[in-house]
Amino acid sequence: MAHEFDAIVVGSGITGGWAAKELTEAGLKVLMIERGRDIQHGDYPRETKAPWDLPFRGEGDQTLYTSDYAVQRLNRHFTEFTQDHFVNDRENPYVTADDTRFTWFRSYQLGGRSLTWGRQCYRWSDYDFGANARDGRGTDWPIRYADLAPWYDKVESFVGVSGAHEGLAQLPDGKFQPAMALNVVELAMRERIRAKWPERVLTIGRTANMTEAKPDEGRANCQYRSICARGCSYGAYFSTQSSTLPAATKTGRLTVMTDKVVEAIDYDPATRRVTGVRFIDTKTKARGMATARLVFLNAGAFNSVHVLLNSANAAMPHGLGNSSGVLGTHIMDHANTLSGLAEVPGFEAHTTFGNRPTGIVIPRFRNMDRLDGRGHTRGFSYQGGALQSGWTRGKREAGFGTDFKHDLREAGAWRMVLVGFVECMPRATNRLTLDRTRTDANGLPLLKVDFAFGAEEHAGMVEAHETAKEMLEAAGGRFLFGSTEPGAGGTAIHEMGGARMGHDPATSVLNKWSQAHDVANLFVTDGAQMSSSACQNPSLTYMALTARAAHAAVGMLREGLI
Amino acid sequence: MIAKAPSDPTELRDHLARRDVLRGAALLTLVLGVPAHALVANPTGVSGHQMALLRQVCKLVIPRTDTPGAGDVGVSEFVVLALDHGLLGDGQADHLVWLEHVLGANFATIGAAQQVDRLGAIDRAAFPAGPPPATPSPWRRIKGLILTGYYTSEAGASRELQYELVPGRFDPDLPLHPGDRAWSSDWTAVDFG
Ligand SMILES: Cc1cc2nc3c(=O)[nH]c(=O)nc-3n(C[C@H](O)[C@H](O)[C@H](O)COP(=O)(O)OP(=O)(O)OC[C@H]3O[C@@H](n4cnc5c(N)ncnc54)[C@H](O)[C@@H]3O)c2cc1C
Ligand code: SF4
Repeated sequence: MAHEFDAIVVGSGITGGWAAKELTEAGLKVLMIERGRDIQHGDYPRETKAPWDLPFRGEGDQTLYTSDYAVQRLNRHFTEFTQDHFVNDRENPYVTADDTRFTWFRSYQLGGRSLTWGRQCYRWSDYDFGANARDGRGTDWPIRYADLAPWYDKVESFVGVSGAHEGLAQLPDGKFQPAMALNVVELAMRERIRAKWPERVLTIGRTANMTEAKPDEGRANCQYRSICARGCSYGAYFSTQSSTLPAATKTGRLTVMTDKVVEAIDYDPATRRVTGVRFIDTKTKARGMATARLVFLNAGAFNSVHVLLNSANAAMPHGLGNSSGVLGTHIMDHANTLSGLAEVPGFEAHTTFGNRPTGIVIPRFRNMDRLDGRGHTRGFSYQGGALQSGWTRGKREAGFGTDFKHDLREAGAWRMVLVGFVECMPRATNRLTLDRTRTDANGLPLLKVDFAFGAEEHAGMVEAHETAKEMLEAAGGRFLFGSTEPGAGGTAIHEMGGARMGHDPATSVLNKWSQAHDVANLFVTDGAQMSSSACQNPSLTYMALTARAAHAAVGMLREGLI
Repeated sequence: MIAKAPSDPTELRDHLARRDVLRGAALLTLVLGVPAHALVANPTGVSGHQMALLRQVCKLVIPRTDTPGAGDVGVSEFVVLALDHGLLGDGQADHLVWLEHVLGANFATIGAAQQVDRLGAIDRAAFPAGPPPATPSPWRRIKGLILTGYYTSEAGASRELQYELVPGRFDPDLPLHPGDRAWSSDWTAVDFG
């Protein structure tokens, strides 16, 4: 059969961009197909707006948000400046099981969530890849850190990740650009915490914001604006637009189609191969198809599962690549909440200049070489930072008039924020299905999310809160507030799993090359492949797995294996 | 290569597209940039008396000093717009009716000192020491919107405070002197207060 393309990449977000870059650079002719609209790099109309340029001063039209962005509005990064980079919930519905609270934060556009992400980039370690084997929950990862280390190197170097080397086993160092600085309060907190607990290391967030320009790639260094989700015409943070798409385009082998939602992947039972994808034009509703020798599914974890479930066929009635029956199960998201907030006295004569687009991280220190967590066997970590409060503090203070105005003119007290991320156990009961009784505007069945945190995540949240309080107080902070209640599922925006990797085709969907056990020319390299969740942000690991899978796929293609 | 971010036409198009959700011609006019003070009567249900009262309250909360105050930069119009879009319909009238009620019918005619006393009582009751009250006073929201309206106006953000969209560098530790003006463009501080 003649194929139009060597490979089709479904989705243009963080992982789709990587798949397109790696496959085209390896010589393949690639079609990247994206459901959302085209966004050209630099076409970020609100990037440089001031609050007074916008009708609602940055806070947005709450009437519109209620009707059209009921979920997205719950995310701190969703503002009047960034709203056009998030999905319209009314037009793109999903459903949840009766007792499920799940906020699914999405961006359907060229670049996907690479435009809106928080850019935190953390390697996973063997504490993470070995987690399922160690406590017997979930299925063992078929890979370990050593399998991924060279791919982390490659990805970090290209992405441009700034960060500090700390020599920690639980958070391996990478190929970093020079770190952004800890501010004066964070630096003091780091020393004070370390003096009491040497294993608790507060370090600068490792972030895909560049401190060194890459002139050859047309990317400038960061200007310390911290407005990244508006889009950055400097190209100083990693997005598909700033980074992988130009690289893939440069090969001359990439075709991009936008406004086309992939409804299903076609499967030929005779060859036991996929042959291409079927799609719907989201504007005209016209159907189309494209053929290729291999397919990379990069629609974002939940949407990739949607495509696989919706690709059920006579030979695979429960979904493409689902002979195991686990497709859609074991979805995860970090349990996530504000674990601790404290006022930090003693720095009243200090301030900073510039808006650093990253905070701090305190990597896990529990359940490493011994199981010392209370009521849980996995990790938790913190992100946050110290900041000097601004005019918005006036909203919670009594007062008005000239004195009040003079008071708000100056920076307020220093505060330290610690947000906890607790590892989520893989559970069969947390799963995605298709609700075929309801369809969206394209006639596609709605995704249904069934999700709850369990005893382990709640225990981790309690410990994350107590430990945050203990650290903030020991470091001289006056504790103000902290929660033990995780936000709704999806709050961490690290939703993953559903097509997990494993050794055994009977209990997993993908093998160690992110390749479907059942279908040799189908690769799923986004979050769907994750077998456990760790407590680090996952996208760097998705990127490394994508680059590794692309390399493997090209090798198999050349050897005539697929 | 640094591409330029355009484009006012896009902004305008956005606004026009959202016209259907903007109730009232006056609000539309406001959004499209006709100076706020050009609005006299307001068809969205805000009475002239409420509008005048709100403007007076804005002046009391953020008076004119060496920089403009909330009465000088259209904050009351922003509060009405935000209430109208924040509370789904009738909330706006509720808040302003409440304000009219608690300040008293004669508020406009009493002396400045008395106005401060009355507003002070409402303000102290709304912001008691300790944790925020279970049923917050509507004043918390009105005052919050006045502060937003002021500190996100050009004068409030860039003259009363300092505004720098492109700092270009990060200094992690600088001396802070009394009287130094805070940065309205410190988005993290704005978020986490
Ligand atoms: C505000 C925010 C902050 C975040 N912060 C971080 C962070 O600091 N660190 C981190 O690691 N992660 C972070 N994340 C998560 C991160 O964005 C995701 O993990 C990452 O984008 C996943 O990459 P992806 O390619 O799998 O999916 P996406 O980037 O979501 O891209 C998927 C693309 O596929 C398209 N698509 C979906 N379905 C179809 C279909 N059927 N047909 C065609 N196209 C389709 C979508 O429109 C989208 O463009 C954050 C996310 C958000 C929203
Ligand atoms: S903070 Fe840096 S990366 Fe983010 S938008 Fe500004 S210049 Fe770009």
